[in-house]
Amino acid sequence: MSAPSLANAILKRPWLSKIVKPIASWYADAAGYRKLGLRADDLIPEESETVLLALKRLPQQEAYDRVFRLRRAFQCSLSHTLLPKEQQTKPDEDYPYLSPIIQEIEAQAKEHDDWDAAVVQRKA
Amino acid sequence: MISRSAVGRNAQLALRRQCCVKPAPLNRCGLAAVSTGSTSFSYESADVGGIKVASRDVAGPTTSLAVVVKAGTRYQPLPGLTVGLEGFAFKNTQRRSALRITRESELLGGQLLAYHTRESLVLEAKFLREDLPYFTELLGEVISQTKYTDYEYHEEVEPIIKLSQQRLLADVSDLAINSAHGLAFHRGLGTPLYPTSSTPLSKYLNDGTIHEFADTAYTKSNIAVVANGANQADLSKTVGEFFTGVKSSTDAVSSPASKYYGGEERIAHGSGNALVLAFPGSSSFTAGGSYKPEISVLAALLGGKSSIKWTPGFSLLAKAASSFPGASATTTHFSYSDAGLLTIQFTGSAQAIRGASTEAVKSLKSIAEGSISKEDFTKAVALAKYRALEEGQSTDAGLVSTGAGLVHGGQPFQIDQVGKSVEGVTAEKLKSAAKALLDGKATVSAVGDLYVLPYAEELGLKV
Repeated sequence: MSAPSLANAILKRPWLSKIVKPIASWYADAAGYRKLGLRADDLIPEESETVLLALKRLPQQEAYDRVFRLRRAFQCSLSHTLLPKEQQTKPDEDYPYLSPIIQEIEAQAKEHDDWDAAVVQRKA
Repeated sequence: MISRSAVGRNAQLALRRQCCVKPAPLNRCGLAAVSTGSTSFSYESADVGGIKVASRDVAGPTTSLAVVVKAGTRYQPLPGLTVGLEGFAFKNTQRRSALRITRESELLGGQLLAYHTRESLVLEAKFLREDLPYFTELLGEVISQTKYTDYEYHEEVEPIIKLSQQRLLADVSDLAINSAHGLAFHRGLGTPLYPTSSTPLSKYLNDGTIHEFADTAYTKSNIAVVANGANQADLSKTVGEFFTGVKSSTDAVSSPASKYYGGEERIAHGSGNALVLAFPGSSSFTAGGSYKPEISVLAALLGGKSSIKWTPGFSLLAKAASSFPGASATTTHFSYSDAGLLTIQFTGSAQAIRGASTEAVKSLKSIAEGSISKEDFTKAVALAKYRALEEGQSTDAGLVSTGAGLVHGGQPFQIDQVGKSVEGVTAEKLKSAAKALLDGKATVSAVGDLYVLPYAEELGLKV
């Protein structure tokens, strides 16, 4: 599911991240999902086995909060309104809660494939 | 398979010639390389950095290595924790994934097992002798670095616990044995081996409680590493190297000393009948002082299942049950670190069980009165001795009983001493043991058709 990303390469270089970070924050804010009370990870498409499994592995509270945010956003969308300022997602609340689980599942799948393709070399 | 026509004749010849010229390299377990072991059946034990290590260097190319943990159902602080901990064996650890553990063990030809008894939780690995370091490291890692993640609990451990609950509910013999243990010992040893289907698991069991239990159970004073077919020096060295991550803890897992209560329980059940008559038995040999060999002779004398073919055998219960077709009787002696339970179990149709159990109590009374022929007594002693020795000789039972003996502060299973103590049983001792059983309180649990199955009082037993 995860799209190719330059984030790691940028974060590794402090000078570059110093330049890019303000732009990124501005972009995330301008994307508008925060005004509906969503987090970036709420926007990940659910229609894949990996994400479905990741959603099952969410802690109960996180899963509940996610459904709440989604329903609130639907309501806002239907009524063509934005949430009042104090209910909108603040930048520090917009942390990745789902993508670490997805990455873990992807790593497990990759390990599985690697083992399936493993070649045994016996020591002479 | 490559078909004959697919491979040209020349290729076949070449293959064959290659084999003749250069014999295929011996696989790493070349038989000639091993067999350094002695043929002694006694365990050598040692203390490696606070961990008890015992091994028996039986000659042969394979090794079985077990970590015996004092964490059986007797010691679980909440119902189901032992089964949960067993389910988490060989799951993801900090250093490698469950998948990697499985695949690597497969490549080395090893087998990994986890099982539990009422007193011990056993993590066992069986493998080729030269892979000892790998599997010692693996077991050390499993007990000190397992992650206990919540998703593994929900996706892999919990469904299996639910299945084992259902299996237990359907099995009348297991229900009766568990019920007898519950009646005889109440808490501690009386806890069922698997949580019963009505145990509210979600209340007690989750990855957090299992992790906490693991932290108290997998500690240095609480485990013993036992091996069959490994050199004591090698084992001590690898254990010293790879079990460094195991914590030493001050608050050890404990359970109050077992006390025998006795009583009667009747459970209605639709699929099958079972009746268990149980009496206080003897603790296991490894416990030391409270070991009573006459109980195992009594178990052999009562018997039930013939040990040879085409005859009901000499045992009293087999004779008693033979006049009630459809009933089968078995006598089992469950021995634990500080108590034991001698059980006579009947299965079959309710009517037949009723008849056979009445006869069985009569034959127990006849033993108590001393009207047992000299010949039967000799046969019983020989059978009891054989069973005790065979148990010590067999790898699995020997591993568990030695490990349990070590973690409970006793001695390893010493096969020659067991044989001697069983030989020392006299007819007089047997008679007084049987008399003591009948005078004390019995445990009777009936599962099945309660309209027909007898009450303890009808059988002439005190509860």
